[in-house]
Amino acid sequence: MSNLLSYFKSSIGKKQIVAVTGLMLILFIVGHLAGNLIFYLGPEAFNKYAKKLSDLRPGFYVVEFGLLVVFVVHMTLTASIVLENIKSRTVNYNVKKSSNQRSLSTRLMPFTGTILIAFVVWHLLDFTFTDKHGDASVLQDGMSYGLYGVVYNAFTDPIHSGLYIIAMFSLGFHLNHGIQSFAQTFGFSSPTYTPLIKNISQWTAIVITLSFSSIPVYVLIQFLSS
Amino acid sequence: MKNTIELTLKVWRQKISEDKGKFETYEVKDIDTSMSFLEMLDVLNEKLTLEGDEPIAFDHDCREGVCGMCGAIVNGEAHGPQKATTLCQLHMRKFKNKDTVVIEPWRAKGFPVIKDLVVDRGSFDRIIAAGGYISVKTGSAPEANNQPIKHENAELAFDAAACIGCGACVAACPNASAMLFTSAKISHLNLLPQGQLEAKERVVQMVEKMDEEGFGNCSNEYECEAACPKEISVSNIARMNREYRDAKFSV
Repeated sequence: MSNLLSYFKSSIGKKQIVAVTGLMLILFIVGHLAGNLIFYLGPEAFNKYAKKLSDLRPGFYVVEFGLLVVFVVHMTLTASIVLENIKSRTVNYNVKKSSNQRSLSTRLMPFTGTILIAFVVWHLLDFTFTDKHGDASVLQDGMSYGLYGVVYNAFTDPIHSGLYIIAMFSLGFHLNHGIQSFAQTFGFSSPTYTPLIKNISQWTAIVITLSFSSIPVYVLIQFLSS
Repeated sequence: MKNTIELTLKVWRQKISEDKGKFETYEVKDIDTSMSFLEMLDVLNEKLTLEGDEPIAFDHDCREGVCGMCGAIVNGEAHGPQKATTLCQLHMRKFKNKDTVVIEPWRAKGFPVIKDLVVDRGSFDRIIAAGGYISVKTGSAPEANNQPIKHENAELAFDAAACIGCGACVAACPNASAMLFTSAKISHLNLLPQGQLEAKERVVQMVEKMDEEGFGNCSNEYECEAACPKEISVSNIARMNREYRDAKFSV
């Protein structure tokens, strides 16, 4: 038992838990994206999917609660690591140069992480804890289109869409560093596979970011051309 | 033909650990570009001594790039601007006439400043003492080829053993993490048959000692690898991460 406790307290243990929870969040994101893409099939298919998910409640609450725990653990452990890292250098350098080794994604990690926390709160208020049958769901034809309508109306506002796309690019940068970090933190490193893992994490990040961002772009194009 | 340059040096001066410390500016002239960086500091120190001032304290020993004693942050880079080079092997031809050179000690909680550019790297010794050894029967040297070792492992262990423990990895890391050093010291024993007996307790004890000494956590930025004068690979950190997890979860 004390062995396990010291694992959770150790620098490497904490990092590995951040990595595992990160991987779980990535799996969730992939599932979420698959759901989002149903938007392209039209209001009926999209609302049917949303209803199917909410019909799984109350059992689904357990899954949602688990997801919340994973998210909170990922965040709090990262925060504790960051605090320790700040404490490990009490006097800063007068001049400090970074080598080219640090990728843009790596440098942006503290910012993309913070943006994502803010985004999750905003996103839940936006599309989850909202009235899906009120005025916000009514489209130009005067009919209520449920969640599809809420999403459609939200994305017709370029500022709303813009903020959403910024958050999705933050997610992409975060994932690009995160996926390759997962491999390193868990000790999968080899001259053959490390470059491959770097490519996979880059392409996963790009595909996820562009797929999520395509929905507001699609809505905006459709709205402006109608 | 003799090439000489003159430089403005901004050097961190600190009398003792408890002192606050500050930068002092010095002008050095007629610096031969074939001098090493430490020889340039020697020239300045001679001048300071003759003028009755305290010379700048800096660590050095072999001046051949193998002992790991020297090191400072020069213009924001550990061991200066030349890749895979210790400070003693950095030559003044790397600088231009009238350059301003800022010289600072390694900065980390685990490396408290003793005086000027000298830091206490006793924390590294304590990490090694926690597990960086093997238990062997002493006596005459064994036959070199008695114990077969996979070629790949021999190479990897040798690469890891090239670590001279200078501390540039900690100094360059944005989090002042000592993971490159610790992982190199673990790898060079854990990859060999002679290191197997204590392999698990070695990784656990050395990692926990490293944490206890107040070094930061690795955030996979790989600044350490870029700064390392011996080009130790971050794949050693991956190996340590894996071995630590395996050691903790094995019954």
